[in-house]
Amino acid sequence: MAKFGEKLFNWFDERYKIRGFIEFMSHKSVPQHRHSIWYYFGGVSLFLFIIQVITGILLLLYYRVGEDSSYESVQFIVSKVKFGWLIRSIYSWSANLMILAVFIHMFSVYFTKAYRKPRELTWVTGFLLLTLSLTFGFSGYLLPWNELAFFATKVGTEIIGSIPVIGKELLIIVRGGEDVTGATLSRFFGLHVAILPGIFTVILFIHLLFVQIQGMSEPPEWEKLPPEKRKYIPFFPNFLLRDLLLWLIILNILAILAVFFPWDLGKKADPFAPAPAGIKPEWYFLFMYQTLKLLPPKVLFIEGEFFGVLVFTIAGILWLLVPFWDVKTEKGYRNRLINYIGLFVLIYMITMTILGYVLS
Amino acid sequence: MRQLAVLIISLFIFIPALSQTKDGCYNCHKDVGDKTAELYSGDVHFKLGISCADCHGGDRTSDDMEIAMSKEKGFIGIPKGGKIIDVCLRCHSDDVVMKKFNSKIDVNQFKLFKASVHGKSEIATCVTCHSVHNIKKVSDPASPVYPTSEVKLCSRCHSDANYMKRFNPGLPTDQFEKYKTSVHGQRILKGDVKVATCSDCHSAHDIFKANDPRSTVFAPNLPKTCAKCHSDADYMRGYKIPTDQYEKYVQSVHGKALLEKGDLSAPACNDCHGNHGAVPPGVKSISHVCGVCHALNAEMFSRSPHAEVFEKKKIPQCEICHGNHLIERPTDEMLGVSTKSTCIKCHREEERGFEVAKQMKDMIDTLVVRASKARAILDEAEFKGMDVSDARYEMNDVPQILIKARTVIHTANLDEFKETIEPGYEIVDRVIKAGLDAIYEYYFRRWGLGISTLIITVLVIALYLKIKQIEKKK
Repeated sequence: MAKFGEKLFNWFDERYKIRGFIEFMSHKSVPQHRHSIWYYFGGVSLFLFIIQVITGILLLLYYRVGEDSSYESVQFIVSKVKFGWLIRSIYSWSANLMILAVFIHMFSVYFTKAYRKPRELTWVTGFLLLTLSLTFGFSGYLLPWNELAFFATKVGTEIIGSIPVIGKELLIIVRGGEDVTGATLSRFFGLHVAILPGIFTVILFIHLLFVQIQGMSEPPEWEKLPPEKRKYIPFFPNFLLRDLLLWLIILNILAILAVFFPWDLGKKADPFAPAPAGIKPEWYFLFMYQTLKLLPPKVLFIEGEFFGVLVFTIAGILWLLVPFWDVKTEKGYRNRLINYIGLFVLIYMITMTILGYVLS
Repeated sequence: MRQLAVLIISLFIFIPALSQTKDGCYNCHKDVGDKTAELYSGDVHFKLGISCADCHGGDRTSDDMEIAMSKEKGFIGIPKGGKIIDVCLRCHSDDVVMKKFNSKIDVNQFKLFKASVHGKSEIATCVTCHSVHNIKKVSDPASPVYPTSEVKLCSRCHSDANYMKRFNPGLPTDQFEKYKTSVHGQRILKGDVKVATCSDCHSAHDIFKANDPRSTVFAPNLPKTCAKCHSDADYMRGYKIPTDQYEKYVQSVHGKALLEKGDLSAPACNDCHGNHGAVPPGVKSISHVCGVCHALNAEMFSRSPHAEVFEKKKIPQCEICHGNHLIERPTDEMLGVSTKSTCIKCHREEERGFEVAKQMKDMIDTLVVRASKARAILDEAEFKGMDVSDARYEMNDVPQILIKARTVIHTANLDEFKETIEPGYEIVDRVIKAGLDAIYEYYFRRWGLGISTLIITVLVIALYLKIKQIEKKK
């Protein structure tokens, strides 16, 4: 048996030179320090994404897009398909947990300054993955074609219309018409199951490749630490097994959430019905939505809503480019201003999200 | 002494008449042989000393015709159209003037009339009904509005199809013909003035269309209109009919629907008894009368064995079980063989009918009980968060089946009844199964979670120990 395994390995090595890769992997190590816990959130995000892919494909077996079939097919999945309820609930819960994990991952990288040279592009690809995840969330939210999703999409897409000159045209392109209709549903579905997964997979691959090539970032304090004081653990199997342990716990949490808090389907969307009270977007968009709501109608000759969109866009771009403008101070330490900005952003997001829930 | 008495009485009678001898208008017109003046001598107003000039204007004291009938003296000639009413209401709407004549006539007549269907469109004026120059008291048998004459008076217009077309082409013109067939009509033809005539139901001056809520014959107002006479025991004494119909009707399912819920499709008195041709429905026609609304029940009853027997024995059809004026919402208790059942009024134990009634009741009770059990199971499943919407939807058919079954009992046909009710049992069976399956699924999910949590926990512990082991080696 062992001989057969060796033969097989040699067969592959002869053709694909995998020995070098194995060698590389076996020597790969992960820094061990008091902030090591944050390293795991990238893996958690990846694990939840894998669950998304698997359960998403399973849902696709029964989901039929269309004004007359979307809601009905989801209802069929949760009530008639064997374990359909479980798959759908795990899908919905893992989607939300994934966004949460991605946010935690991003802020941990930000505060530990793991984005600094030479990992600028890892940060950029990571930020792109976050944007894509949010687009995944926004497009997927409409797909069950229920009341809440319908009106939340209506309100969400309306923001696009506030952009001057091109806003109206852009809105028609996004919605596939003046209003949120079956056409919107079709294009959101296409975006959600074909376009986004394609782009996401490529960027995810690049992101992971960068991480593998460069390894985990060491904390900035280590720059002054003698090499013998720096602690490492092997990536394989130590780090990977710890990763697996966490994944298993998360899988169990998902199962508990799916059984005790099955994801509600709500009422079918009725475009002619009045919007129900308290319509608001998913929690991860709430800080933006609440900001736009609190803005006055006019800010410095600009429409309030557009001003908000503009500020968020500029802030997003600055956030994306943080590795390029965060510089060392004269004393050699990294700029503390970055930490204050990050803290402000984090508190702002949390406060606005809470306000979004409380004020409605 | 006797002669003195006659003189005093005669003076009382003739003093007003004597006063007219000073009326230039009357004297002159009478002298030239004017028939109007002759007619006026019999008018109620003439007897009260009211002069021609009081209505037509002019100067009653002048012997000179030119002066007496001059515009300067206010002569208006023959009033036409609305002017006629103006002339009458000058006195009849004036409380002070009417009191001078010791009149008890209501001074609001004009106000009422003006709002009525006749007054609003100026179809009629006072003289149309009360006549002119020969007006009598309403209680005077010679008056055209005296009960025995009134129906003919109204029919003058209302039975003339050509005339009525001008005002209301949709209004039937057979009221008088129907009235003649009614108990009221037949009695009045015999001179009984106590029975209802047109104005007793429609009122006199304030007549409105029957669908006008102000009308005394508007469906929700009608029972009270009829009850004016029919609930008055003193007034009805001598007719030998009960006077508790209204009292019973207001408690009935029909009365509650019409009077409490305002459901205008519910029957008032006239819907069963007829309006102008009002008679109590005969024994044979009860099912037809009820069948106007309860068509399916009537059709089923007509092909039941009861129909023939009831007819032979002159048993009032629907009424024998449901009653007449006090028809209550039928309950399942009415069926079967309990003391509250109506079936046992005729059927005795060991009879076929007794057995059929018993079986029908048992089957209905069974469905009711099982349906309620099914609902309780669905409630429990929903409480546990399970989706049983399909079963809940299917359950909607059960009340329909129960309604159908409760209707089919009118056929008294057990086979037809079973055919109707059995799909209900099948639905309930399926719903109970679906509900129990959902509850089972609920526990299955919890057990599944428990087992998978156990497996994952074991794996987590194993992995943790493995990690510890690896790290220890190093």
